[in-house]
Amino acid sequence: MTTPTQQSAHTTQAASHDAVRQSTFARVPGAFKLQFSPSVTLISVPIMVFVGVWFLAAGIGAWIHHTAGTRVAAEDPIYTGASQAALWCLVFMAAYAASHTFPFSMALSYSRRTFMLGVLLAFGLVSLSFGAAFSLAAWVEQLTDGFGIHFYTYDLPYITQGDGGIVAGGALAAIVCLVLMLFGFFWAILYRRAGLFGLWIVILGFAVVGLVATMLIFQNDGWPVIWEWLIEQSALSLTGWLVIPTALLALLNYGVIRRATPA
Amino acid sequence: MNATNAPAAIEVTGMSRRYGRATALEDVSVSFAKDQIHGLLGRNGAGKTTLMSIIAAQDWPTKGEVKVLGHTPHENEQVLPKICFVREDQRYPDDALARHAFRAASAAFAKWDWDYAQRLIADFRVPEKTKLKKMSRGQKSAVAVIIGLASRAEVTFFDEPYMGLDAVARQVFYDRLLEDYAAHPRTVILSSHLIDEIAHLIENVVLIDSGRVILDEPVEALRDRAITLVGRADAVAEMTAGREVLSDETMGRISRTTVLGGLTDHQMKRVQELDLDLQPVSLQQLIVRLTNRHSKNEHRHDVPRDQGEGEK
Repeated sequence: MTTPTQQSAHTTQAASHDAVRQSTFARVPGAFKLQFSPSVTLISVPIMVFVGVWFLAAGIGAWIHHTAGTRVAAEDPIYTGASQAALWCLVFMAAYAASHTFPFSMALSYSRRTFMLGVLLAFGLVSLSFGAAFSLAAWVEQLTDGFGIHFYTYDLPYITQGDGGIVAGGALAAIVCLVLMLFGFFWAILYRRAGLFGLWIVILGFAVVGLVATMLIFQNDGWPVIWEWLIEQSALSLTGWLVIPTALLALLNYGVIRRATPA
Repeated sequence: MNATNAPAAIEVTGMSRRYGRATALEDVSVSFAKDQIHGLLGRNGAGKTTLMSIIAAQDWPTKGEVKVLGHTPHENEQVLPKICFVREDQRYPDDALARHAFRAASAAFAKWDWDYAQRLIADFRVPEKTKLKKMSRGQKSAVAVIIGLASRAEVTFFDEPYMGLDAVARQVFYDRLLEDYAAHPRTVILSSHLIDEIAHLIENVVLIDSGRVILDEPVEALRDRAITLVGRADAVAEMTAGREVLSDETMGRISRTTVLGGLTDHQMKRVQELDLDLQPVSLQQLIVRLTNRHSKNEHRHDVPRDQGEGEK
């Protein structure tokens, strides 16, 4: 696959340095593809977990329905939290991108910015796919009345049964997925940057901030207000709100990776 | 001290790198001429990998400046695609096979040559179905060497490339490097502590010890820097008197002494008259001795006479 350009590379090499200014974003597609090579981490394993857990949950549901002989399914629907499994799997895979793919990207001479843009695009695509799969699964559950036994893993009241229905639910699932992936990435890249000691200092810092915030809310009787606010939200409005932490985490990650070393 | 007038591909000026209290590099000033093969030599822990990491923008200096092809490389997409540095202990994604790594490299380096990469894969017998993580030391080195060669990056580093490679594979590497360098001249930096094995490849030597550049010279000039005289002890002593002795072995009446500096025509004549045997000093011997001398001088808080530009 030697191109004519390569053949004559050495003759034009002297001039090539200052020749064409390459776009700063020219290699972002390469950095994006890097996240899916090999495809096990961000594609095969999450799909396996998503589908596997769904069937497992449905199996348990069938067993419960069969055992509790008196259950009237339509009056007593069962909702599970199994939809989280694929999310947690993706959190680990995102951390993995920071611990393993980042050092390899350095050998490929990607700037940290290019690598981070590739990561954001890849995580964005994975999150959208997760959201779409979530909607699709919720739709299947709606159509089949929870596999005929009103057993739901994805079609959940708060998420897919509000304004906007399963599409809004999918959007929420997608943004939650993106926030969590960036969060997982953050801890792994922080470890690369600051080492074990630095990592624990930040964890303790977070704990202190969380504790103080909780105490302040408690002192000012803020909990009812927060609950009320949360209940008022729809899947769509929550999706909107979550754009803020997504953007903050993306910036924070870039700030950390700028001075992270591969070894 | 670089005698060649070729423009510099890499210029490092007054650069130091500290990790907490440890100093990895101290006030390093060195330049690597464009389109030459350089040997970056030094003992383990001398600072070779740190220097390469900083030039390749995988790390950054605490103080001082680094320019690659005229640009500061850190976060600079104008120059980074022209640099290739696969570390000796390179980390790859766990489940990656060699082809994943090569495919990623082909996307990252504009001049990547797939045909050439395929030939190298066959030459080095890189296994297709073994995960990089499970590969032997030598197989991993081969993957790194193939990325370095096939990427045809204008500035390419090879970090102890022979690690774990068998004799055949090492020869394949040296042959392929020279062939490809002839066809596509570029700036190559070979880090190594097996000096004699790469001596015939390199045009310029940069020697670092304890984070300082102690030598930066063309190999040709270096070979004339020292001589070994073998013969009758008194005759050898006559010729070496007043010179800096790098090594001295005496067996009975026969002496074998290595001293710094070349010989004048007059001295050459005298060597013949005294029936002394004049032997060239191997690069490895010279480097080892210069490094030892540097360490001793360091110990005495003395400054070595022929230091690199980086030293004050």
